[in-house]
Amino acid sequence: MADKVICVTSGKGGVGKSTVTANVATALAAKGYRVAAIDADIGLRNLDLVLGLENRIVYDIVHVVQGVIPAEKALVKDKRTKNLFLLPAAQTKDKSAVKPEDMVKIVEELRDKFDFIFIDSPAGIEEGFKTAVTPADTIIVVANPEMASIRDADRVTGICEAMGKPEPKLIVNRIDPKKVARGDMLDVNDVVEILSLELLGIVPEDPNMVSYINRGEPAVLFEESIAGKALRNVAERLLGKEVPFMDIRVEEGFLEKIKKLFGGS
Amino acid sequence: MGLLDKIRQTFGSQPASEVAKKRLELILKYDRAGLPPNAINAVKDAILEALKDFPFIDINGVNINISENGEEREKIEIEVPVKEK
Repeated sequence: MADKVICVTSGKGGVGKSTVTANVATALAAKGYRVAAIDADIGLRNLDLVLGLENRIVYDIVHVVQGVIPAEKALVKDKRTKNLFLLPAAQTKDKSAVKPEDMVKIVEELRDKFDFIFIDSPAGIEEGFKTAVTPADTIIVVANPEMASIRDADRVTGICEAMGKPEPKLIVNRIDPKKVARGDMLDVNDVVEILSLELLGIVPEDPNMVSYINRGEPAVLFEESIAGKALRNVAERLLGKEVPFMDIRVEEGFLEKIKKLFGGS
Repeated sequence: MGLLDKIRQTFGSQPASEVAKKRLELILKYDRAGLPPNAINAVKDAILEALKDFPFIDINGVNINISENGEEREKIEIEVPVKEK
């Protein structure tokens, strides 16, 4: 499979990289695929929290790099979907503890044993980001429909290109249809046009997401979650299926119509 | 703020999303070219200053742009028209 090793990155922090990684990985595992998720954010371990696995960690990625334990043995087994395994980040202060060549080696160790390997990249464009991107066949850029996130997504895209990587695919995360209808927030089409990347997913703002994360239960496991559904669709698209994008538009309000009438658009 | 301003602000102003789009398109153009956002203006000022003493140059027609031909290295293109005879 060409899309086997997938790095999720964004440039800007806090846009939902770990949430996207945890959920898409969980969705694929729930469908029966063997999935490994590597937290590459050294010093700021968080992927374990979204998956609710923080209490099960014994070894981390730095132990693997130091040769204390083979990568496969360091994996934490997911408690819900039996096919999902987490390689936690270390909480060490030394961010350069894992080099690009170390990540390549870890991925090679795991490659034959999994259908998908996700790498959750740290924010930023420094060494840690490059370490996360280097072994990837596919890069997913997560962006929120806001100025700083889009600018950073474009920077990351340029750097990936300079590294000789294939063009990233885009997930627009946390889009609020009400704000879009009001003309306050950029629409998905605008973001796609500005970044000119292939769209892989549109994830609407979901008021319940904070609760899923607080409980350590990925939203994709809940039928009623709208973000969960959008992220399950991403998983389907990674499997090569053509899934139509959810229509998340809301009806234009009276005030918006008046505004347009007055030449406000 | 007068009533008229309030009405104008509510009904007539450009949506924030469109402002964001326009700003981003401009920012990314410079980011991608690796140029500071005011670079073009600064270069233009310097060029106009250097050209102003040549009577055969049409100063008002001087045009300066970042080329967008997808080449590896970005170029700043300067058009300096000669005055009509």
